[in-house]
Amino acid sequence: MSEKYDPKQNEAADKSNENKAEDNTSTRMIILSPTANISQTELVQRLHMLEMPVTIKSTCYGAMVHGEKEVVEEVIEKARQWDTYNIFTKDRGFPPGDPRRCRGHRGAAREGYHQLEKEFDLLCHVGEALKKPQKVKIDKVEKITVDDFKKIVKHKASKIKDEGEK
Amino acid sequence: MKIAIFPPNSLILADLVERRGHEPLVIMKEIRKKVKDAEIDSPPMNITEEDPIKGLKYAAIEVPSGVRGRMSIFGPMIDEADAAIIMDDAPFGFGCIGCARTNELSVFYLRKRGIPTLELTYPTTREETLELVNKINTFLDQLEDENG
Repeated sequence: MSEKYDPKQNEAADKSNENKAEDNTSTRMIILSPTANISQTELVQRLHMLEMPVTIKSTCYGAMVHGEKEVVEEVIEKARQWDTYNIFTKDRGFPPGDPRRCRGHRGAAREGYHQLEKEFDLLCHVGEALKKPQKVKIDKVEKITVDDFKKIVKHKASKIKDEGEK
Repeated sequence: MKIAIFPPNSLILADLVERRGHEPLVIMKEIRKKVKDAEIDSPPMNITEEDPIKGLKYAAIEVPSGVRGRMSIFGPMIDEADAAIIMDDAPFGFGCIGCARTNELSVFYLRKRGIPTLELTYPTTREETLELVNKINTFLDQLEDENG
């Protein structure tokens, strides 16, 4: 006997499937600063020693951890303790080894790698600042007055005029 | 607190915000939602029909479609923010935010929101980096003091 189609029931089933399909995974990159006290191999070994249900990928900058959000957060918290001032982490949109981004498939550095390379140079200084925090005053940016703005415009205009005459 | 960072894919900013117990609003989390969307064949190259509509809230129809598409991702993040940290003059080719007009529009919206904002310049030397980190930490601590 065939079952009757019930749109309401079907809708409810669709919604529950949607919730199931909702992504609860997260990928985090663990980046070691140039002055880190642990090596990339040691980091990966320690991550494995945690025996947590996550995928660990060894990379040139450190490691990548993929798994359930809560578990990944726990792993990151533990990893930070190994070298607080030299271990940095950030989220990654694509899971590890995703063919759309993976360097191995693309044949060139993946998007975002160049930015990571630039920031990597500064990480040792960031770690230093975190180690020895100093109190600084933050200057509030204020709007300039109309008179000041007129002066700037006049100054700039005269400069342009001088350059034009030359 | 939810802190919008600019560039929204910055490792240093995201990490520093997280260290102080706040939630950084990063582009990677938004991209992840797209990556996992079964409707899209090759994310983030393609977009759904809802994305241009979302983008229209932030950029007019005359604005290039690329800006509108990007704003459909950046815009909701800006709306969600309780505070913002903007780092100007980040190196060219800073990941997926290579569109100068979108960057200008995003910074404009962040300033327009009227939320506590810290504006900095991308550091190039050791001294500048130390100052940047201290300023960010002071700013985040002040936010905590103000909001308990």
